[in-house]
Amino acid sequence: MNENETILVIDDEKQIRRLLEITLSANEYKVILAVNGKDGLIDAATYHPSLIVLDLGLPDTDGQEILKKIREWYQKPVIILSVRDSEEDIIKALDNGANDYLTKPFRTGELLARIRAALRSGKNLSDTTELTIGSLTIDRTSHVARKNNEILKLTATEYSLLLLLAKNTGRVLTHQYILKEIWGYGYIHQTQYLRVFVAQLRKKIEDNPSKPTLLITESGIGYRFGE
Amino acid sequence: MNKQIINQYFFSSFIIAAVVLLSAPLANTENYHVVSFILLFVVSILATFMGTGPVLLASTLSAIFWNFFFIPPHHTFQIDKTEDILIFGLFFIIALVNGVLTTRVRVQEKLVRDRERRTNALFQLTRELSKASGIEEVLKVAIGEIKSHFNLDSFFILQDGENILYDTGRLQKDKKLNSGEYHVAEWVFRHGKKAGAFTDQPFENDLTFYPLPGTKVIPGVVVVRLKEPFNEDQKSYWDTILVQISNALEREFLAEMAQRVRFLDESDRLYKTLFNSISHELRIPVATIMGASDSIINSSNPAGMQQALCNEIFTASLRLNRLIENLLNISRLESGHISARLDWYDMNDLVNKVADDLKDELKPFTLTAIIQEDMPLVKIDFGLMEQVLYNLLINSTQYAPPASEILMAVSYLDENMLIETADKGPGFPEQEIKRAFKKFFRVNENKTGGLGLGLSIVKGFVEAHGGTIHVENRIEGGARFIIRIPTEKPDIKNLQEAYYE
Repeated sequence: MNENETILVIDDEKQIRRLLEITLSANEYKVILAVNGKDGLIDAATYHPSLIVLDLGLPDTDGQEILKKIREWYQKPVIILSVRDSEEDIIKALDNGANDYLTKPFRTGELLARIRAALRSGKNLSDTTELTIGSLTIDRTSHVARKNNEILKLTATEYSLLLLLAKNTGRVLTHQYILKEIWGYGYIHQTQYLRVFVAQLRKKIEDNPSKPTLLITESGIGYRFGE
Repeated sequence: MNKQIINQYFFSSFIIAAVVLLSAPLANTENYHVVSFILLFVVSILATFMGTGPVLLASTLSAIFWNFFFIPPHHTFQIDKTEDILIFGLFFIIALVNGVLTTRVRVQEKLVRDRERRTNALFQLTRELSKASGIEEVLKVAIGEIKSHFNLDSFFILQDGENILYDTGRLQKDKKLNSGEYHVAEWVFRHGKKAGAFTDQPFENDLTFYPLPGTKVIPGVVVVRLKEPFNEDQKSYWDTILVQISNALEREFLAEMAQRVRFLDESDRLYKTLFNSISHELRIPVATIMGASDSIINSSNPAGMQQALCNEIFTASLRLNRLIENLLNISRLESGHISARLDWYDMNDLVNKVADDLKDELKPFTLTAIIQEDMPLVKIDFGLMEQVLYNLLINSTQYAPPASEILMAVSYLDENMLIETADKGPGFPEQEIKRAFKKFFRVNENKTGGLGLGLSIVKGFVEAHGGTIHVENRIEGGARFIIRIPTEKPDIKNLQEAYYE
């Protein structure tokens, strides 16, 4: 299944490149390695990979700049893999168009899971009429969400929130982004609204709301919908 | 001063003239000798409160008037009788001696009074200097004294402990030495001799530089702008107060040096502790990783053993990672770069997140997390609080016996969030519980590893929220931490309407 999937790794650390090459190849991905931002941009244009793993601390250009340049034409998933773990850096990368981030040191199992989720979401065309995530299905024409084929009673806001998250499965959405999309620009600092609705939504969609598996919290950053 | 003396001259002349006028009826009688006694008496009185000059003038005038108006023949300076010549001569001498002696007594008395005043002033100064703590206060007292006693503005340049002079400009804002003046100050400091105006080492402008005569070190240099040279008395007083000021400065100076040495000792000790424990804490996991991976590479172990070795490597790397996290956090705290970025959060989310992060470590235990039923959203820094709960829980897993219960309770009371964590470990030895949040503190130098930074990070992060943390031993055994963080409740009234649409 992975035969056609090519992953471009842009990282200046030799050990990390080697680790990723071994791990990704073992999982039957085709791996292209770039050691700096310039090479990374050329390789991205040449091979048109299915996914890019990008380090933020590159020797020649800042990773955030590379990310912006890639996003000018590249639609597929970009996952940030960086030692920079400040919330500012992560939020900035997500705003610049990254789908997801992992901080070094990372677990390869976690990285593979994120890659799989991102690749899957890339195929999940956002304009299909029905979205399926695990036991959840969302029918966009009738505005109805079902869990295990039972209709969920959702308010309009809960439904829009669920739809927004589901459309972006495997992608980390920042608090500000969600607030802007659901409530509008004037509300991007009203995080308390978001907390209340996330809690309500979890009660309806999660098997165990106190151990969420669908609507996952990203510390201080935002939320991810997945698995 | 001159004006006062001139007044005295006028006054004494006037008194003598008045006495002569009042005595006029006696001019033509045989009792003109009485007038001489009256005049002598008046001169003596004048001598008690007037300077030598006016007294001399008074006695001279008395003699002349007496001779001119009273000794026959009148209105001439001629004296016929021999006895009158004698009386006139005696009169003149007595008036003179009386006047001069009295003035001298008065000068002596003034000297004694001055000396007493100075002794008092010196006593005051000594007392104030001994009360002053810190170089700045000593300087304030010294500058005040020089101003009040000599009416001079003074400026102190002190050395920094390594014989480098620095401006004490923080006290004396507008006065800065130019480089030429600074060189003179340097010279005075090095040679311990005064220089500048009115000294034998004159300098192009009107400042005078005095070295401060310390007993072991020269604390610095004092600079004044003299209008005229000190007289003997002033000079001796000046020297005396300089000694007092120097002593006080030297005392403060040595105290500061001792403080600095203590501080260096302390940081040296900290450095050693840090170095020892870090090298230990780094080496153990690195040794594990190296040994285990080497064993995998170089020998054909059975598959089960390979797996076990890999698990060891993984555990060691987690330990290394935690160590790095803690070091980074403590250095963020130390450098003061921590500021809580507050936002609304759901405590359920935080507790779940931490429990999930620690699910492997918590596996041998029972974690009971109780969050108040109607717990409101709270304003916290999620990342910092995540670290707080993480460190508290990981501590419990390191000390509590396997299969025991670890408790975490979250509630909201009077504008405060309360978080309580408790375990059934050994708790803290009573005598050490006060040091629990100190850096590098570990219970009995415990072998469970760690640098002893976890709890001081917890405290630092809680305080970054304006909160407090308290630790106690539970009666039933184990440690209990109670965190209190002030937080408002969110305004979500509008939201309820939006919900039921």
